[in-house]
Amino acid sequence: MFSLFIENFRISISAVLANKMRSLLTALGVVIGILAVTLMGTLISGLDKSFEKSMEFLGKDVIYIRKYEWFGDKEWWEMRNRPNIKIKHADVIRERSQYAEYVAPISEWYTSVKRADDDINGVRITGTTDTYAMISTAEIEKGRFFSKTENRSGSRVAIIGKDIADNLFENENALGETFQIGNYTFRVIGELEKQGKFLGMFSLDKQIIIPIGTHRRLFTRRGWSGINVKVDGTQLDNATEELTALMRQLRHVRPTEDDNFALNRQDPFKEQYSMIKLAIGGTGFFITVLSLVVGGIGIANIMFVTVKERTREIGTRKALGATPKMILMQFLMESITICLFGGLFGLALAWGGSLIINQYFPSEMPINLALTALGLSMLVGVISGLAPSYKAAKLDPIDALRYE
Amino acid sequence: MSLISLKDIYKIYNVGGEEVRALDGVNVTIKENEYLAIMGPSGSGKSTLMNMIGCLDTPTTGLYEFEGEMVNDMDDNQLASIRNRKIGFVFQTFNLLPKATAQHNVEIPLIYGNVRRDQRKSMAAAALESVGLGDRMHHKPNELSGGQRQRVAIARALVNNPSIILADEPTGNLDSKSGREIMEIFDALHEAGNTIILVTHEDYIAAHASRTIRLFDGKIKEDFSKVA
Repeated sequence: MFSLFIENFRISISAVLANKMRSLLTALGVVIGILAVTLMGTLISGLDKSFEKSMEFLGKDVIYIRKYEWFGDKEWWEMRNRPNIKIKHADVIRERSQYAEYVAPISEWYTSVKRADDDINGVRITGTTDTYAMISTAEIEKGRFFSKTENRSGSRVAIIGKDIADNLFENENALGETFQIGNYTFRVIGELEKQGKFLGMFSLDKQIIIPIGTHRRLFTRRGWSGINVKVDGTQLDNATEELTALMRQLRHVRPTEDDNFALNRQDPFKEQYSMIKLAIGGTGFFITVLSLVVGGIGIANIMFVTVKERTREIGTRKALGATPKMILMQFLMESITICLFGGLFGLALAWGGSLIINQYFPSEMPINLALTALGLSMLVGVISGLAPSYKAAKLDPIDALRYE
Repeated sequence: MSLISLKDIYKIYNVGGEEVRALDGVNVTIKENEYLAIMGPSGSGKSTLMNMIGCLDTPTTGLYEFEGEMVNDMDDNQLASIRNRKIGFVFQTFNLLPKATAQHNVEIPLIYGNVRRDQRKSMAAAALESVGLGDRMHHKPNELSGGQRQRVAIARALVNNPSIILADEPTGNLDSKSGREIMEIFDALHEAGNTIILVTHEDYIAAHASRTIRLFDGKIKEDFSKVA
């Protein structure tokens, strides 16, 4: 039986190669189907990676006390009327909270920075305390974070993000050099490692961290403030409950009133993300199924034509001793081969596509998915080849031999 | 003992509500190493008889015995097997696979007979050698002349060492010189002990055979043996 398998494979290959254009056009549906499913997989893997990285930035054990909710159904104008988060509450939280491990007040403002002829607009200037280094996942690549003393004394020192370092200092060593934030001169004491974009939206590297005292003094009443609290990751819910009570007390919220602040965490991002992922996956799946079905119909059609064209050959083969099953296998194999070629072609295109996608955000083509896709294309071959092959197998040898 | 025995063979078709008796009570026995020509005008039933003998078709009623095996109640798989093992077909239009080499064409019956590759190659080469195409084994049909193509087809018919060689108008598509060469091969095969059945409407082709059956309206009108 093995030699028959080889023979069938040989026939299939030569039939596909003899009609290259026809085979390609026939397999186009399968090509597109495989392309869709693998590119979708690549995209999702890339999204996963970038999402993981962004979530890493937020940290799963950090509670962000803010004026605005990151997610939820509250109207922004309702939240706008809330009082601002007072950074002095950070000290109270540090003293009274059981769950808080580190507490860092945050003050943020966007402004331009410059050095000599270079300037950058819209840089995020974060004012915080030395505790921030304990909460943030971003590592200091060069230099150091500011000290407690520098924080207290309101020194004009800055830790700069990768984008700032690259643009203002290019190839120079930035440490110890000075530059302007707005109209004020600062000295670089540290450089952050490259962090990339947050969910592909804004760069985390276009950031400068300075002592909060300095920030308050120079940029006071501008921007917004908040408190970042790092807690024990296993006590997130308890910590949230405790901090809510504490904040209500500090802000004198009456028992009948709603919270006028938000405790943000990374988990709602995950929920949102799974929905997006589901939408992408669903669309990809739909396109894949649709093109495979259409492709399968095309292949069935061309296989009927092939059987018709080769009726005499079928007759001859039957006269020479081929059983119906052998003929069935021959044409089934041919249909599978067309689909396999289509699948491989689709995979090659997808591989090229994934290299291009990789240029824009890091991703890789999932091998398992590629193999599943190949299996799927073969399945399409079997299903769409079944009816034409059965027709070939059932041909009467006399009629087939006489067929002109 | 007879190789082939057909007893009271009827083949009845129903064409548009009308009964057509393609074979109307045929009785033939063929012995080993016979050289038989089947003749008759079109519609006489000679093609039907040939298909019957070649196990491509089964009779409506009647008994067909081939080397002791009852062909008349075989299913498609059994018929395929008996064609593969015991019958070598030669067609008027050669019916070679255009994309395969001469050698590969000759291997086809062996592939269906599940013969191992190395054995297959040497058997096909020997068969081509015996029809004088030893130097054309790796040529494709379009690189061969009509006569050479038919010789490849004969090699393909021979390669399984069948009990009968069944040739349907084997010279019908050839010029007279090639036709003569082909008939010489059949004569030689007969000399070598093979059983050959020719279907033809040419008297000079039938003249090669030692026995001639003439059909008319599905009945044997004449069964004539040359005295050796």
